[in-house]
Amino acid sequence: MNWSAFGLSLEVTLVATTLLFVAGLGIALTLARYRLPGQLVIETIINLPLVLPPSVIGYFLLIALGADSPVVEWFGLRLLFTWPAAALASAVVGLPLMVQAARAAISGVDPALENAARTLGSSEAEVLWRVTLPLARRGILAGLILGSARALGEFGATLMIAGNIPQRTQTMPLAIYDAVQAQRYSDANVMVLVMTLLGFISLWFVRRLEPPRGQYHISQTGADT
Amino acid sequence: MQQSRLRVCVEKQLAAFKLSVEFEVGTEILVLFGPSGAGKTQTLNAIAGLATPDAGEITLDGVTFFRSDTDQPINIPARKRGVGYVFQHYALFPHLTAMENIAYSLWRKPEAHKHALDLLRRMHLAPLAFRYPHQLSGGQQQRVAIARALAAEPKVLLMDEPFSALDRAIRESLHKDIRSLQMESELIVIYVTHNLDDALAVGHRLALVSDGCVQQTGSPTDVLRRPASRESLRILGVRNVFEAKVIALTEKELCLDWQGLLIKASAQQAEVGEVVTLYIRPEMISVTSADRFPDRQSLYNKIIGRVTGCLIGQHHRTLTVRLQNECEVEVYLPGLADDSSSLSDGEEIELALPRDSVNVLSEKSAFHPVSSRQRNSRA
Repeated sequence: MNWSAFGLSLEVTLVATTLLFVAGLGIALTLARYRLPGQLVIETIINLPLVLPPSVIGYFLLIALGADSPVVEWFGLRLLFTWPAAALASAVVGLPLMVQAARAAISGVDPALENAARTLGSSEAEVLWRVTLPLARRGILAGLILGSARALGEFGATLMIAGNIPQRTQTMPLAIYDAVQAQRYSDANVMVLVMTLLGFISLWFVRRLEPPRGQYHISQTGADT
Repeated sequence: MQQSRLRVCVEKQLAAFKLSVEFEVGTEILVLFGPSGAGKTQTLNAIAGLATPDAGEITLDGVTFFRSDTDQPINIPARKRGVGYVFQHYALFPHLTAMENIAYSLWRKPEAHKHALDLLRRMHLAPLAFRYPHQLSGGQQQRVAIARALAAEPKVLLMDEPFSALDRAIRESLHKDIRSLQMESELIVIYVTHNLDDALAVGHRLALVSDGCVQQTGSPTDVLRRPASRESLRILGVRNVFEAKVIALTEKELCLDWQGLLIKASAQQAEVGEVVTLYIRPEMISVTSADRFPDRQSLYNKIIGRVTGCLIGQHHRTLTVRLQNECEVEVYLPGLADDSSSLSDGEEIELALPRDSVNVLSEKSAFHPVSSRQRNSRA
C-alpha cells in the first residue's frame, strides 16, 4: 500500500469536491433557472468530459494552464505538474455528473412551493435557501458523491497535466499503474481493493439517496386540470 | 364593514384566450365561479404578484400593487404585497412539519412559536403539529395551508379551488371556518371554485367568470335568480335553455312562439318581435293528468310530450320529455317513490308549466350584454 499516494488522492479529491460543489451547484442553478443564449452549447461543453478521451481533456487543460495562458500571465499561477492541477483535472471530469444530477433535482422542485414561499414574504435568496435547496438536497448530494467518486478515479488527464511524480503528484490510480508496471502485484492488489471498495460505497450511498416511494407525493386529485 | 377595498383591473394575453377582468372587493368573501380554464387562477396569480399582467391596475386601500399605463410602471414583488394565498393542491413544504409550515413566514420573529401554536389550535391542528404533510389527510393539509397563509397576517386571502379534493362533510366544516375567519380578521377573501355548491355555501358575493371575463356579479341569490345573460346561464349550468320569439306583450303577460309552440309567460322586459332566450327551471315543471291539473288553470301552460328518459338522482328523478315542438325539456320529480314512478319511455304525458316560471332573457335588457359573436371570437 502506497500511503503517500493514498493521502494525496484524498487531498486531491477533497479539493476537487469543493470545486465541484461550488461550481457545479452554481452552474446547475443557472441552467435550471434561466434560459441562456446558446444554452445547448454550454450544456454540451459541460458534458464533453463524459465522452472525450482523458488525453484530450488533459491537452485542453495543458493549454489552459500552460506558459502562455492568462492563468500564468495575469495571476502568476504555475499549476502544471503540481497537485492542484490534479485536483482541477479531477473536478473537470466530475463536473458533468454533478451538474446533471443537481440540475434535475432543482428543476424537479414544484414551482408552486417556490411561489408559496414568495407569497409568504420570502426573497429569491430565501426561497432558494429555505425551499429549493432543501428539497433538492438528495439530488445535489447524489451528484456530488458521483462527481467525487469520478474525481478520485481520475487517471489520464491528471497524468498529462500533473505528471506522475511520486510523493508530489502521484495519486492512487497512477500508483496502481506504476505498481503493475514494476510487477509489485501485492502493492497493486491492496490499492485496487481500496479503490473498488470506495467506488462501491459511493454508488451504494447514491442509491440510498433516492427518495422512498411516496414521501414527497403531493395530492394531485383536484378536479381542475 | 367595508373598510378595506381591493381594486383589480387586469389584462393579459394567455395561450388560449385573453384575460380581461375588472372588479372590486371589500372585506367579504367574493367567489369567482366559472368553468375550468376561465382565467380564475390567472387572476389570483396577478393579484398575488406571481404573474405579471400586460396592462391594468391593482390597488389595495390606495397602495398600488401593479400599474402599467403610467410613466412609472409599478410592480411590487409578491413577497411585499402581504397577500395570503392558499394554493389548489395546498403546496405545503414537504420537508417541514405542520408547525414549521405555519411558522414559515415568522422565522425571524421572536413570538413566532407562540403565534404558530395559536393558529394550530385555531385550526384544530394542535395534535398534528409535528407531522409532515404526507402524514396528514387532505382536510388536515388544507387547514395547515390556511393557517400558514394567515400566519403572515395578510389583509387579502386568495383561495384557489381550496376544497376541490375533499369530502362533502369536511368541506362544510371548512366553509364555516372560512366564514368566521373572514369575519374575525376582517379579511378580503377571493375564493375561486368551479363547484356551485361551494360557491353558494361560502360566498357573500358571486362573480361569474368565463373566457377570461367577469360576466356578472351580485349576491348569490340575485345571480341565481336573475342570470343576466345567456353566458351566465351557461356558467351556472341552467337547464332547459331555448330560444323563442316574442309575439305579444301586455302589462300582464308575454306571448311566446317557442319554435312552433305557443306559451304564455308573466310580463317581463322584452320587445315584440325579438328573439329571446327562454329558460325554465326543471323543478318548476310538474307532470299532471287530466283529473289532477292544478286549480288555477290560467296560471299554467299545458304542454304535451313524450317521455324519452328517466334518471334517478340523490334528491329527485330527472325526466327527459320531448315536446311537440321537438324540444327536449328536463323535469325534476321530487322524491323517489311517487305514483308517477311508473312513467316509462315513450309514454305520452301532460306537463304543467307555470307562467311565472317561464323566464325570458332579452338581450336588450341584459345587465352585461355579451353577444354570441363576441363569445365565439374569444373561444
